[in-house]
Amino acid sequence: MTWIKKHLSTFLLIFLILAFALIGFQLRKTEDVESASIAEEITPSVVFEAGPLQVTSTVVNTWIMIVIIGGLSYFVGRSFKVHPGFVQNAIEWLREAVNGIITANIDHEDTSLFLPLVISLAVFIGCANLLGLLPVLDSPTQDINTPLAMALVVFLSVPYFGIRTRGLGKYLKHYVEPIFLMLPIEIASEIARTFSLTFRLFGNIIGEEIIIAILFVIAPFVVPVPMMLFSIFTGVLQAYIFTLLTCVYIGGAVKAHQSTN
Amino acid sequence: MDWTTLPWDKIFVIVTVLIAGPGIIIGITVPAIGQAFVAASGLKAISRQPEAGDKINSIVLLSLAMLESLAIYILAVILILVFANPMQSYILGG
Repeated sequence: MTWIKKHLSTFLLIFLILAFALIGFQLRKTEDVESASIAEEITPSVVFEAGPLQVTSTVVNTWIMIVIIGGLSYFVGRSFKVHPGFVQNAIEWLREAVNGIITANIDHEDTSLFLPLVISLAVFIGCANLLGLLPVLDSPTQDINTPLAMALVVFLSVPYFGIRTRGLGKYLKHYVEPIFLMLPIEIASEIARTFSLTFRLFGNIIGEEIIIAILFVIAPFVVPVPMMLFSIFTGVLQAYIFTLLTCVYIGGAVKAHQSTN
Repeated sequence: MDWTTLPWDKIFVIVTVLIAGPGIIIGITVPAIGQAFVAASGLKAISRQPEAGDKINSIVLLSLAMLESLAIYILAVILILVFANPMQSYILGG
């Protein structure tokens, strides 16, 4: 019996995955699997239209996710204790991990300046990537507009933090820092890395979704489960890489402040 | 030979598939070799200087992410070719 107790969490995980697979199988069986093509499987469906805007299912999933994460953070944040429980422990661990990434990449003494943005990005992207594992729900990041919005937030926050920590003149001066010829290269790299961030996140998630969709069409029962397990790893890794790159880009705008001093 | 009577829709699908398959093979193999170099060099550096492990680790992950984005670009191009080709209406005339 101790052997079972020791591996209880593993059994529970396998049971949960099988249950999800079964639920997904049942839900997909009610639709006409033969006619559902893979292209329809991965494109988000339009839920309703508000004027000229088409509100897709990924946007609705984002709203649901925001409500759940916001409510959870609000209620957990109101009841912080000295001796942390399970949920508080997990949140403190997450905060420490993100704080470690910030201190490793940004040379600034006040990490609480960057923490709200970076931890929000990390939690949002991580949850958005993992949302696609639930049956019938589309992951918000498999629509290219969500990663693009995230990358635009990073694109705008880099000059914000640069100007805030160094002042406008010193920040603009770092574009022409070694010689004047660096100016177009710096501007081009700022634009290119925004699209690179977008496509890295989008491509990883859409690739996983396509492989899972293909496996579901071929053999809908247990065959997609290893790929879904792997997509947990990919989703968390992509959230980590997005956070790391955000910190590196912000650090590049902030760092020269230290060297000029 | 009458070019207008050829089955252009079938030729279009065949050419797309013939391009997409080798394209994704090349586009994944070359970044994979680069990633292997980065991972091997990072491992060597950590085994030589284990106390610098944290710093090397983050740089290695950063380089792997940069190299991975190349493969992702290929994937995006292939997906556009297969699922949403912008030339489709031009060639098929619809």
